[in-house]
Amino acid sequence: MISISKLLCDLDAEGDGLRYDAADESNTHQITKRRQRRPVVVWNTTRQCNLYCSHCYAAAEDEPAPGELTTAEGKAFLDQLADYGVPVVLFSGGEPLVRDDLEELVAYAADAGLRPVLSTNGTLITAERAAALRDAGLQYAGISVDGRPERNDSFRGREGAFDAAVRGIEHCLDAGLKTGLRYTITSANAGDLEAVIDLLVDVGLDRFCFYHLDYGGRGAELVDADLTPTERRAAIERLCELTLEYHDDGEEIETLLVGNYADAAFLVEYASERFGDARARTVRDYLERNGGDPTGERIADVDYCGNVHLTQFWQGYSLGNVRDRPFGELWEDETNPLLRALRERETHLTGRCSECRYRSICRGASRLRALAVEDDLFAPDPQCYLTEGEIAPGDAFAGGSAD
Amino acid sequence: MVAKARRERVERTDRGSPVPQWEVFVRDSETDPLRHVGSVAAHSAAEAHEHATRLFGWYAVDVWLCPADAVERFTTSAFPATDEGDVTEETDAERESGAETEIDTETNGRRIAEGEPRSYEETIGEPR
Repeated sequence: MISISKLLCDLDAEGDGLRYDAADESNTHQITKRRQRRPVVVWNTTRQCNLYCSHCYAAAEDEPAPGELTTAEGKAFLDQLADYGVPVVLFSGGEPLVRDDLEELVAYAADAGLRPVLSTNGTLITAERAAALRDAGLQYAGISVDGRPERNDSFRGREGAFDAAVRGIEHCLDAGLKTGLRYTITSANAGDLEAVIDLLVDVGLDRFCFYHLDYGGRGAELVDADLTPTERRAAIERLCELTLEYHDDGEEIETLLVGNYADAAFLVEYASERFGDARARTVRDYLERNGGDPTGERIADVDYCGNVHLTQFWQGYSLGNVRDRPFGELWEDETNPLLRALRERETHLTGRCSECRYRSICRGASRLRALAVEDDLFAPDPQCYLTEGEIAPGDAFAGGSAD
Repeated sequence: MVAKARRERVERTDRGSPVPQWEVFVRDSETDPLRHVGSVAAHSAAEAHEHATRLFGWYAVDVWLCPADAVERFTTSAFPATDEGDVTEETDAERESGAETEIDTETNGRRIAEGEPRSYEETIGEPR
């Protein structure tokens, strides 16, 4: 996850690393000096969903799957996460709100010391459930909207889904829950970005999280509908400009990018061009600490049947099942050659990635896209949009001022 | 004398998500033992082999596959029974027997790495 707003609007040119370190124990926004050592865990609590989204990585259906973790098993699983020191559990689906024990599980997670957050389509959030989730200890709700109303409803397979999601956002905000937008960018909806941000800022939202399409689940069937690298670059550049415009107008929205760490390199280049080399060095230094693509390291996924995946998009491969072995043991077991290779992927990357000067802050971006398109785990991500000049070997902006 | 491990049978439940799972075993070289390396989702053995080859074929000399549903599993780290009542009974029984558990009630079993921050910039859901 890369914060455009943080990197372009909130970082000063010098000394920010130490300044933000001091905020470790505070409730305010912070940047850590250390890399995260335990993964954020996405838990697909159910396969069941009340919508049918064309890009669903979890291939959700209108019925729950046989073998879904029960309430008791879910609590035992949350104990495994707490025991391992996982910082955050993201309740996802399917649609997590179809589970009538969601509040109970959120409360259990909070009591266990996990930070419970939610990923939802928002359409089932009533005022009552928003309040109940808040009272259970939920820390954040990310609500998915993928374009203007008609486009969103078409994506999501149900008329009225956009309006219902906006009502859900309003209920969350009214309940005092931290709430943000989740938006998966494709060629069909990239043009709607600006309008959706404008609309939801008016609703009261100030956090916007943009996902690149990864090629897992039904998303793998949409490769042809994905942006071209050129279109992607234009979309990210527009998001940068939009973020700066909002901040210049005093609206301090937060904009974040997920799913393509070519964005990290682009932001360094963008910062250099827009603000100069000192800022670019600071941005790069922050991104070095951030650690690049998190697959198999800083993010994990456990599906509704307990299978452990490298990210939520890697549903086709599982390290093991939490019914057989505790999550922490599976995640620590580097006798698994795939897990080990991904954790040292810089040494395996081929082609234009192998000598890219941004290799350490990108780490080859999505290995899943490389696998899907190139049939090669260590081939370049087909959605890298950096130019040959930008990735030429060298140490551009390395050795930032924050150290 | 080493005490016998107390293993429990893992209940056989459907693990498809929604595609059936195949357990994957690979051999690094001719002289190495087969090793379990996780599972792949596939509708057939041929598809599972194709998928496993893409993930492990770059080094393994042998790839074996087994339908996940066909595996009988016994473990010392069993999950609780699927019914809430059963869990309570099991926990109570353990307490009554004085069995030592790994769960420290004061810390609720958490093993937080020393100095590990509890929230991160790199966090889904980290609010502004």
